[in-house]
Amino acid sequence: MAIDGALLAAADAPTLRLYGWQPHAVSLGYFQAIADFDDLPAETSVVRRATGGGAIYHGDELTYSLALDAAALPKELAASYALLHDAIVRALSSMGVRCHRALDGRMSARPEDRWCFAHPVQGDLMTDRGKLCGSAQRRERGRVLHHGSLVIQRPELTPFVAAIADQVSPTAELRRGLHEAITREIAASLSMQPCHGELDERESRLAADLEREVFGSEDHIARR
Amino acid sequence: MRPDDLKFQQTHEWVKIEGDTATIGITDHAVSHLSDLVFLDLPAVGSSVTIGESFGEIESVKAVSPLLAPVTGEVLESNEELADNLDWLSEEPFGKAWMIKVKLTDTSGDLMEAGAYDAHCKAEG
Repeated sequence: MAIDGALLAAADAPTLRLYGWQPHAVSLGYFQAIADFDDLPAETSVVRRATGGGAIYHGDELTYSLALDAAALPKELAASYALLHDAIVRALSSMGVRCHRALDGRMSARPEDRWCFAHPVQGDLMTDRGKLCGSAQRRERGRVLHHGSLVIQRPELTPFVAAIADQVSPTAELRRGLHEAITREIAASLSMQPCHGELDERESRLAADLEREVFGSEDHIARR
Repeated sequence: MRPDDLKFQQTHEWVKIEGDTATIGITDHAVSHLSDLVFLDLPAVGSSVTIGESFGEIESVKAVSPLLAPVTGEVLESNEELADNLDWLSEEPFGKAWMIKVKLTDTSGDLMEAGAYDAHCKAEG
């Protein structure tokens, strides 16, 4: 979360980050109350995202974050989701995974919706088993952080989610292919050329500060 | 028409300064672009706000955004009813949807008059 926060605040170039979770963990939406999750198994790690929406159990999944200037995306929120989600649909399709962008339903999650994947809304990526990709944004000072979680294997804790493994075997080759396809299609949707990179010194320093002062702090995680 | 006794920030917060007190909210333009609001977080009375820094957060259709303070000072009042009545932001963004009242210590931020703010909104689209 701290690295994504640093990229939102400081990345010089539009930055797509692909990652997984070790240990597996629950991320709360920015506004969610931690007291609503006191029934989680005792050993569950919990973090709080900078983005909104419902909680996600991050098990075997591919998480992506995109940090860039708001001007690089359509101004309207729904259109920005549509652009990025259509890129994910194309990427998944190239790997033999079928899903579609929901064109109807509610516009946004409600405060009482606990789990992101249990309450699909318009624009979400769906299969016939349910919601496959959860996503949320933070927008500040002309910048956007877009978070997405693509489920690879269905977690026991959230059995209502759809998973890539419902359709194709989650091999190492598939995982490599997903990285490449998502990078290619998101870059194409933004009319950009992707290149590989690492965090620079400034971004690393800011991420360490944010980890210490915000995202790693119990006060932040339990702030509501 | 926006009230002409208000000043505006590029990030779409408004401020009404009366003596050493400022009332702060967000504009109709901000509300129309946010739409379908679900959460609002405002600071507690007695806390400090600083020009250009976040004094709260708002969540709309799948996006969280900070609210940026147009002035510096101490929070005298926070509109505690607003979080449970987010419709007020569409109905009366410059009236009952005020967010905080602040005892001023600094008003040196980059604030616009209503006419300049109208032009800024038109340029943003």
